[in-house]
Amino acid sequence: MTLHLDDDELVSCVACGLCLPHCPTYRVTGEESASPRGRIAAMRAVQWSGAPLEGDFTRFMDLCVQCRACEAVCPSSVPFGHLMEGARETLASDTRYQPGWRRAGYRVLGRHRLLLTASTALAVGQRLRLVPRRFGLPRLALRRRPLVATGNDVWLFTGCVMDAWMRETHAAVMRVLAAAGAGVALPGPGAACCGALHEHAGLVEDAQRLARRVIGAFPGEAPVLVDSAGCGAALKGYGRLLGTPDAAEFSRRVMDVHEWLAARVDALPVPARRFPQLVAVQDPCHLRHVQKAHAHVRTVLGRYADLVELDDEGLCCGAGGAYAALHPDMAADIRARKVAAIARTGAVVVASANPGCAMHLAVAGLDVRHPLEIVDEVIRDGR
Amino acid sequence: MPDALVADLRAALAPERVLAEPLELTLYARDAGIIEGHAHVVCFPLTTGEVQACVRIARAHGRPFTPRGSGTGLAGGAVPVEDPVVIVTTKMDRILEVDEEDRVAWVEPGVLNLDLTHSVAHLGLHYAPDPSSQQSCTVGGNVATNSGGPHCLLYGVTSAHVLAIEVVLADGSVALLGGVDAEPAGYDLRGAFVGSEGTMGIATRIAVRLTPTPPAVRTLLLDFLSVEGAAATVTGIIAAGIVPAALEMMDAEITRAVEDFVHAGFPRDAAAVLLVEVDGLPAGVEAAAQVVADVGRVHGARSTRVAADEAERALLWKGRKSAFGAIARIAPNYYLHDAVVPRTRLVEVLSRVYEIAARHRLVMMNVFHAGDGNLHPLIVFDRRENGVMERVTAAGEEIITACVEAGGVLSGEHGIGLEKRDYMPLIFGEADLDAQARLRHAFDPDGVANPTKVLPAGSRCGDLQRVPEGAWI
Repeated sequence: MTLHLDDDELVSCVACGLCLPHCPTYRVTGEESASPRGRIAAMRAVQWSGAPLEGDFTRFMDLCVQCRACEAVCPSSVPFGHLMEGARETLASDTRYQPGWRRAGYRVLGRHRLLLTASTALAVGQRLRLVPRRFGLPRLALRRRPLVATGNDVWLFTGCVMDAWMRETHAAVMRVLAAAGAGVALPGPGAACCGALHEHAGLVEDAQRLARRVIGAFPGEAPVLVDSAGCGAALKGYGRLLGTPDAAEFSRRVMDVHEWLAARVDALPVPARRFPQLVAVQDPCHLRHVQKAHAHVRTVLGRYADLVELDDEGLCCGAGGAYAALHPDMAADIRARKVAAIARTGAVVVASANPGCAMHLAVAGLDVRHPLEIVDEVIRDGR
Repeated sequence: MPDALVADLRAALAPERVLAEPLELTLYARDAGIIEGHAHVVCFPLTTGEVQACVRIARAHGRPFTPRGSGTGLAGGAVPVEDPVVIVTTKMDRILEVDEEDRVAWVEPGVLNLDLTHSVAHLGLHYAPDPSSQQSCTVGGNVATNSGGPHCLLYGVTSAHVLAIEVVLADGSVALLGGVDAEPAGYDLRGAFVGSEGTMGIATRIAVRLTPTPPAVRTLLLDFLSVEGAAATVTGIIAAGIVPAALEMMDAEITRAVEDFVHAGFPRDAAAVLLVEVDGLPAGVEAAAQVVADVGRVHGARSTRVAADEAERALLWKGRKSAFGAIARIAPNYYLHDAVVPRTRLVEVLSRVYEIAARHRLVMMNVFHAGDGNLHPLIVFDRRENGVMERVTAAGEEIITACVEAGGVLSGEHGIGLEKRDYMPLIFGEADLDAQARLRHAFDPDGVANPTKVLPAGSRCGDLQRVPEGAWI
């Protein structure tokens, strides 16, 4: 029992292999160690047969993007995400899996003022050409216009990197919500980070601490809308992460912003003209496989633009939160498949409802926008 | 320090494509079945030349080799026995050539079955054999096991769709078996190789026939309150002169397990359901679908649901094809059989199968290709339960015996591998086994290609085989 996983969860994989083609790292490598089935076999070898944690096992666990596509296609509903988080939690606590510099990096995400200052420094660095393009950062703004609350109908979760680097997306989302007749409340500094990356890295206590802080930042009953798929999935998972009734109640209030809008799509303005270009819809994994809310993007965006589907059945793009930074080569290999799938559609504009995916795909030279930025543009053009 | 064999393989391929660490090897100990073995080393060649190198180096070090695709096999064909060099073809995954006019594709063995179909869909073509694992399994693995699938009732199994195979033989040489011409001259060695489960060599390039996608298709779900009614409908449909593209049966337990996964509206209270698909030209399809519905009604079908669109059809098929995986909702392990019985004796064999399971206090489910009598009785169990393996093995043996006594055979499509090897004498006499052993010997005189698989020990005089220690069934 060196891995501290639930035996009943671990035993639930029958090794049928139906997950294999949906796993981005297996698609690239063709190797069991890079597949959900192989990773579970490795977890079993540690938990039941005493295989060592350090070395190969750590390497196999660390290569997983945690896209959770395997979970969505698993006929036995193996809770792979939970197993992987558990394995990484043990690695983080019992080995040198998360060295100090990585932990420090994750902690910055929860300290919003520090993150904003660092982002401004990065923006200056970009102007001075001191930041290599391969870091995959978007062009950061030197000044960020503050967001202004418009009412109390819904909350908008603002987050860490999303707010620091892509605040204009929040602004567009707020305009679309206003067009649907909703006044938007903004949270205090407690909502500065959802803790998803911490949870994925096995830093569960950090994730729990951030989760409690986030819950405290959204008092009342109003829905908590999220425009970043990865954060939304994390917020919806607080009930399980914290295991308290309050957390479960909070998670029930959380909705992806498209999910909320899709139910009110008729309240959105009728477009005077549709978006001029064909839009390829890229489903962020945590919207499609975890939240299963990807259809709502089409309901909302389809009112304003002609959409085309990718033929890759939602295969991950390789962004994976911090993954693209920690595994740049694998992330690029995974992305190459996504770029090819997008190219097959003939579309030049890509809609992605997750900032990580958008940044990762933009590095490959694609024109990637948040779905509601496209909606916002069409609505504003019609005025 | 890696041993000399590993070092030679690394020099011939690339260091990162040769795995020899204990945990790495553990992941290649089994396929999707329940038998475990142990690999000495695992390698990933990229070319025919590299496959040759793997085979030659293995031989030079006195090691056998075992080919492996995606590892979705159920009979232990890819389980490493006698510490072999495991040669994995998953990195040889290119579609080399598609000839639209002749409807032939040349593919590498690691191409996934469904990827091939997707890649030619825009031409109005598909690759017809569709095992339930088609999203994951490789064409090379399909060739090795002569895979079937629901739609093989009408279209035929893998061997009907493989025209030519480039193979690396057991001595490391390359041969081309068969050909893309209509009638290649000489003995049909291609036919011998398809289904040989790695005992005659490794396929490195495969020419497959592509099938025009039918213009119309109807998928029907018939629901019955008795297994007998469903089985009689199967016989009745064929007797009425209809050969559906697919004719599948699921019993009550598996229907519930599948419904819990796909939420496709499979009736949770049915004793059995039939999934029937007819395809062809629109008018013929309408007529055939009507016949299927009528025959079902005569035999007590409670309802007949026709898939309204492609999405509903896909969902029904997803349910059928997820069946094996879905059973972990009931218990974490399964032992799946693959016997074929004459269609007319389905009801009788099924009731014996249920009786055997009940006597051994085991949960049993059935999901199968009813149209060709290919049963898939699944024994569902939890390996952690004390003494359960003995009961599973005993029940499995009785099931196989019952099928053979009813005039059946051991395997419809999964292959013999290790799992059914020792049942071969149930259907083959000494002379039959000896003839097969001689054929194998002609391809592999030294017994280095996937040893111990398919044929039981003693198939030829002086031929000693046993399940080694550490492997278990």
